[in-house]
Amino acid sequence: MPKKAFEIMNTKLETISSEDSIYSAIEKMIDRRIRSLLVLPKDEKDDYGVVTVRNIIFKALIKGIDPHKVKIGEIASKPLVTVSKDASIEEIYKLMEKNNIARVFVKDKEKIIGVVSFFDIMAHILIERAKT
Amino acid sequence: MLEKLLGGGKLEKKALENIKNYLQIFISAQECLKNLFLTENLEKSYCIENLEREADSVRREIISTIYEGAFLPYIRPNLCTFIEITEKAFDFLKTCAFEFRYFDKKFYQTIKEEVLRIANINIEMAEILYRAFQSLMEKNNLREKNLAIRIYEKKVDEIKLDLIEKVRQKEVTNFWEGKNIDEFLNALVKISDIIEDASDYLYILDISLK
Repeated sequence: MPKKAFEIMNTKLETISSEDSIYSAIEKMIDRRIRSLLVLPKDEKDDYGVVTVRNIIFKALIKGIDPHKVKIGEIASKPLVTVSKDASIEEIYKLMEKNNIARVFVKDKEKIIGVVSFFDIMAHILIERAKT
Repeated sequence: MLEKLLGGGKLEKKALENIKNYLQIFISAQECLKNLFLTENLEKSYCIENLEREADSVRREIISTIYEGAFLPYIRPNLCTFIEITEKAFDFLKTCAFEFRYFDKKFYQTIKEEVLRIANINIEMAEILYRAFQSLMEKNNLREKNLAIRIYEKKVDEIKLDLIEKVRQKEVTNFWEGKNIDEFLNALVKISDIIEDASDYLYILDISLK
């Protein structure tokens, strides 16, 4: 049976407040060796966002912006590209290709429960190849 | 390939069929463990012991067939080692089922999701190991099977960290409870390690035959 998003997603979601500085995000990414952080909504009306190494480099560092002075909320990508936990893998990689993004977040109702990255897709394809 | 290269006689065929049978029993035992975790019906824990006994008798037959003269002498110890590595996984499956009988079922609910994820991965790894053995015989690509098993093993390692985080939250009140949790989790996460070792061994065997 074809696999679904929740079967290949990574459930370890590192989060950051949108009020934190870009520098805090950089520290967290370096300490945990990750390339993206889920940005928590400011309030009930706000959406989740994502900040990636790409955001930090192109929207802050190479523009000479002081990472201590700018809040994550200002450079985060919003809204998130999400799929339901029962979405097919095909649906995910089509979204990645269409939106030119490296990760898609997985939702259960309104809650973010995981993330599927390029690496997860590659691992999934390799495992399926091995099963044939 | 293995049949041709190593003789292809009656004894070889018998040994190879038995190895395939042994690996199928291994998959069945993994499925049995998953059902136990899913249903929490302790009666299901006994099927693992039955399958282990069945696997034991098949293993003895494989070893005796090999020492009756199946395969070229330099291959014999390698095949025996492969079987012995897999046998260790049966021990861990048995430990898992045994310890689960005494596991705190209320605490189990907090780790059930992770435990089931590992059990599912173990089944898929066992199925890939079976296919890897078939590939060895058919001269197909063993490298891809080996990589898939390594990817799965890394996933189990990640889930293991989540499990440890959860277990640390639990207050252990006596020695036996702590021992039970430790032995259960240790056995559960060791199965994938053993499958990875067995897969590596098959890969080495494949290279040595080229």
